[in-house]
Amino acid sequence: MTNFVALHNQLHQSLRIDTQRIEAVGAANNMVPVVISEFLRLVVHYPIVFTKSSESGNFLCVSLLGFEPGENLFWINNQWQSIYTPLNIMRQPFFIGQENNQTLICIDTDSSTLKTGQGEPIFDSMGKETDYLQKIKSRLAELLDGESRTRGFIKALLELNLIMPMALDISFANAQQQRVQGLYTINEERLAQLDADQLIHLQEQGYLQPIYTMIASLGQIYALIQQPIYTMIASLGQIYALIQKKNERLGNV
Amino acid sequence: MNKKITSIVIVGGGTAGWLTAGRIAAHHRAQDGNIKVTLIESPNIPIIGVGEGTWPTMRSTLLKLGITETDFIRECDASFKQGAKFSRWVTGADDDFYYHPLMLPQGFGKTNLAAHWQAARNNNQTQQSFSAATCFQEAVCEQGLAPKLITTPEFNSVANYAYHLNAGKFSAFLQKHCCAKLGVQQVLADVTGVNPAENGDIASVTTEQAGVIGGDLFIDCTGFQSLLLGQHLQVPFIDCSDVLFIDTALAVQVPYESDDAPIASHTLSTAQEAGWIWDIGLVHRRGVGHVYSSNHTSEEQATERLQSYVGSAFKNLTVRKIPIHSGHRQLFWKNNCVAVGLSAGFLEPLEASAIVLVELSASMIAEQLPACREVMDITAKRFNDTFRYRWERIIDFLKLHYILSKRNDNSFWSDNRDPATIPQSLQELMQLWRYHPPGDHDFTSNNEVFPAASYQYVLYGMGFETDYSFSQHLLHDVAIAQEQFNKNRKNIDQVMRSLPSNRDLLTKIHLHGLQTI
Repeated sequence: MTNFVALHNQLHQSLRIDTQRIEAVGAANNMVPVVISEFLRLVVHYPIVFTKSSESGNFLCVSLLGFEPGENLFWINNQWQSIYTPLNIMRQPFFIGQENNQTLICIDTDSSTLKTGQGEPIFDSMGKETDYLQKIKSRLAELLDGESRTRGFIKALLELNLIMPMALDISFANAQQQRVQGLYTINEERLAQLDADQLIHLQEQGYLQPIYTMIASLGQIYALIQQPIYTMIASLGQIYALIQKKNERLGNV
Repeated sequence: MNKKITSIVIVGGGTAGWLTAGRIAAHHRAQDGNIKVTLIESPNIPIIGVGEGTWPTMRSTLLKLGITETDFIRECDASFKQGAKFSRWVTGADDDFYYHPLMLPQGFGKTNLAAHWQAARNNNQTQQSFSAATCFQEAVCEQGLAPKLITTPEFNSVANYAYHLNAGKFSAFLQKHCCAKLGVQQVLADVTGVNPAENGDIASVTTEQAGVIGGDLFIDCTGFQSLLLGQHLQVPFIDCSDVLFIDTALAVQVPYESDDAPIASHTLSTAQEAGWIWDIGLVHRRGVGHVYSSNHTSEEQATERLQSYVGSAFKNLTVRKIPIHSGHRQLFWKNNCVAVGLSAGFLEPLEASAIVLVELSASMIAEQLPACREVMDITAKRFNDTFRYRWERIIDFLKLHYILSKRNDNSFWSDNRDPATIPQSLQELMQLWRYHPPGDHDFTSNNEVFPAASYQYVLYGMGFETDYSFSQHLLHDVAIAQEQFNKNRKNIDQVMRSLPSNRDLLTKIHLHGLQTI
């Protein structure tokens, strides 16, 4: 359940964000929407692909976290195992709302990050914003700006027919095949055919680098399949379960 | 004689005129100047515009015209159509219905599913109708679900689909696209005379507003008046009202009760005492009409039936009366003139054959456009043979809907069952189907309009029983059949979980559009 309300320095003065619980919000997601300004940070771990919003059919950029609904291979031993966690996770439990054409910061008052009453305050005793809230605000600002830039990026790619469906076939050790559907990536063949003017235009918009970052990030799919390497720090029982998973997954992408 | 065909003149706008102009212009790239396509449209004659149901072929037609599905749906008030539901055609009872969906029966061709279904039904192992047991699309329609998701790319489908559309808006939309994108030249003028050449061809037409317009090939899209082919070239009309008795339509446009009222994703066809009522759901209104045989009922009675079907909204609606002369021209292409649309012929809209015949005609003209006049007569003969065959098959298929009815509330139904009114070709098929179900071997031309599966849906939907006592040895693959029935059930579960309502999807398309990939 979620319950978004506009952030208020008196109403929410005593709230504490349990930062240990933030990443758990994405524990059961197999993808998370991302924005192009974080691509270079994402590429150290995550495959970055396109998918369509089930609500509008519009394309989104997402980091792939797992291969089936509910599977987040980065969520191991109750922790998000990564150097960088996507902005859309780290901004929790804050959101950007709209009222009378004004953007305002909202908070999900049902978020599990508020349940313990422990953690970072967002307002001090005078009702002034804490450094923590300042940090959150800069994340939200990056997301807000990033979402509109990412939409522009996707629009430009669609106009040039640079997005294509991605066939991701995983062969399991038990000879079963799983086809991951609904993912799209850069059409490299088409990219190679662009003429100078089209390339210059992409470059001027700052789109060339994210295009190549997305292509390079696909290599992380292999890493994702072998993700149970992280089980070194997990408990014995979990190691067993995850190695099972690894054995199933070791195969061709 | 050996002059390249370069100038195509289409007389008449409407769905037929613009679709034909668009197909020819797109195929021959008229915008590059390869050929000239001129469409003469009267500023004074309104289009008939009752053709509001298409076939799935419309998806590839739109694609070939370079039209996006999003634009088409938004501008033509279009909705999705997944076949037809025939209510009260067998007994006339309230719960009497069957479907003719747009998808093949599950596992069609793998096994004789019709036989296994009939056996199961006769052994009381299933109560399901043939269409319900073999095709998940019936459940999709019954629930008012869309044939795809907002994430499905345009023209792609989860369940095969066609469209319902607003014919008036469709013509205007095609006109805009043909002129702006495909290089079709529109001339707004009334044709006042047809000028023959020495060999009997049409040399030119005289217009009131734009003078004399000459051409190499003339396409008659002048509607019921058949100005070029019928009136000028005197090609006789072959009347088939002795087979199909419907001769009048009363049409109304019914507003929805609310903006979020469900939109049916199939055509609803409800049999009446001396005809039937069509009901199609567009985005902003429904199109409803009663077609009937004036030899079997009066206009007053027909109006009453339409009123009782529509309900209280009826009193505020304008009823349009449209005569239906069932039949077609003896030839469709004579000399350098070919008729497309109502000028070629018309049949009751029971299986939405009007627009698909336009598409088939336009596509054959575009793809087989004679290179020069010298070879045109050969193409004309081929065109005539092809379309004569198609019209006859459509007439057979429409008649099939009537001959198995058990209704006796009006002599309309018993007259329809009279063998003297049933074409010989259909009688022969019915003889064969006493012992084996309709199969691809019954329809071997590559110009077939309806596939064998369509005949199965209607035949078994109407309660026909095939006698398998001589072919029991061919029906041992019970396990394979069972697998297909199970697959159908599984498919139903899956689409029930995933597909949105027809209204929801159309609203989203208006809001967000469909992706092209």
